[in-house]
Amino acid sequence: MPAIVLDSDKIQDSVKRIMEYGGTGVLKCVQCGACSAVCPGVKAGFPVLCRLLIKKLLEGQFEELVEETSTWGCQACNRCTEVCPQGVRPQEVVFAYRRYQASELAFSSSATTSQMNLYGTGHAVFTEAGPLREKVGLPAKAPTSAYDEKAQKEIQTLLDNSPMGELGLF
Amino acid sequence: MEKYGLYLGCNIPFKAPDIEQSFRKVFPALGIEVTDLPGAGCCPAWGTAPSFDLTTWCAVSGRNITIAEDLDVPIMTGCNSCFGVLSEAKHFIEADASRKKAVNEKLGLINRQFKGTSDIYHISHVLYEKVGLDKIKESLKYDLSGLKVAVQPGCHILWPSDVYHVKEKNSFFPTQLKELVEALGASAPHYSRLEACCGMGGMRSTDVEKSLELFKTKLLSIKEEIDPDCIVTTCSSCFLQFDMSQKTLKERGEIDFEIPVFYYTQLLALAMGFDPANVAALCVTPRDAIIAEIQSEARKVREQEPLMTLAPSIDR
Repeated sequence: MPAIVLDSDKIQDSVKRIMEYGGTGVLKCVQCGACSAVCPGVKAGFPVLCRLLIKKLLEGQFEELVEETSTWGCQACNRCTEVCPQGVRPQEVVFAYRRYQASELAFSSSATTSQMNLYGTGHAVFTEAGPLREKVGLPAKAPTSAYDEKAQKEIQTLLDNSPMGELGLF
Repeated sequence: MEKYGLYLGCNIPFKAPDIEQSFRKVFPALGIEVTDLPGAGCCPAWGTAPSFDLTTWCAVSGRNITIAEDLDVPIMTGCNSCFGVLSEAKHFIEADASRKKAVNEKLGLINRQFKGTSDIYHISHVLYEKVGLDKIKESLKYDLSGLKVAVQPGCHILWPSDVYHVKEKNSFFPTQLKELVEALGASAPHYSRLEACCGMGGMRSTDVEKSLELFKTKLLSIKEEIDPDCIVTTCSSCFLQFDMSQKTLKERGEIDFEIPVFYYTQLLALAMGFDPANVAALCVTPRDAIIAEIQSEARKVREQEPLMTLAPSIDR
């Protein structure tokens, strides 16, 4: 019995959806593996990145991979984009798949904090750093959205009017 | 006199403000005017909007870029991730007319419009291309001859090179940071994993053990191959990983050494004679001894304080 059954409808659906999410180069892939050879994520033990992720998507395994955590090990370093001889921009495929996973809320709970921080302060990483800043001779408040209500409202408006706003995270 | 908008990001102003202070000290002294980008927020980080929706990413990045456009200045940032995220967002907006239209519809909700008039630079690009090695050499109060440095350029400053204005001849054998370090008098020998990832970023949030393993491989390569006096980076994320994680590995008995870590402009600021209490005050891995060595009498090549061609951007 084969491990997977190739189904042309599923393959076409998978390709269409990954392209809609931003992985527009996916069909140029010839599975050479140059991307995975330079990928720090693959090196660290996240196997379903770059070549293998693209292979699975081109086999039509779109929904089956939704719980795959390798994609979240991508460092967004773009070594893959640099070396790809076909112009696939593999990182865009990885991020496109992440966007599908995110739309299904299939990401770690620790990632939720960053989204909340971004919505609340305009910064994904935020800690009250007043004393640290004053220690090095800077004003306690950085000149950023963190202390600027108008800026925060602008960022919130952008997020509210986006697919992120529809997920009920904020 | 060139003027740049200083895009701070998150880690530098909130976790390593001494790096921010080093920017505010060295650039005016080197003839580059630094202006703030009021209300700028997160770039947004790879794990946020870029992982959810491409147009939302471009809109949030686009908002930051419009702040610089309104001031008619290019952007410079010291965070590699911010540099990568903003540069790529700008590329995606400009490469696709329908994307640009969608982004500007979003930005219209907050009365902003992306025009594309502000280019994006990394602070090390500004130092290397705009200031130049000669001017850096002329600005020094202390000569760092004899010090050996392991350089860590980080990932997002190198790739994807097709969207960046300043490029290395070979991004897998980067030399700009090496040259910037050598301009201070120090040596920066090659080591085999020079371009390797430090393991910070999304990987660390997803699986800290995998991140530490990658970090340890790189750190051991540095120690065994060149045994440097310090590690110097132009990435704030790499800085945090090298500074925090050596302690973790040491406590676990996985390494028996610690190598001091600096962001490049911290080392530059020290060599220019600025007070370490401002420009290199916050770290986990100890660096007092090397700071004392850098600013020792024997290394002094000039008596006067750095020439201030411009007033510091913040003088409070």
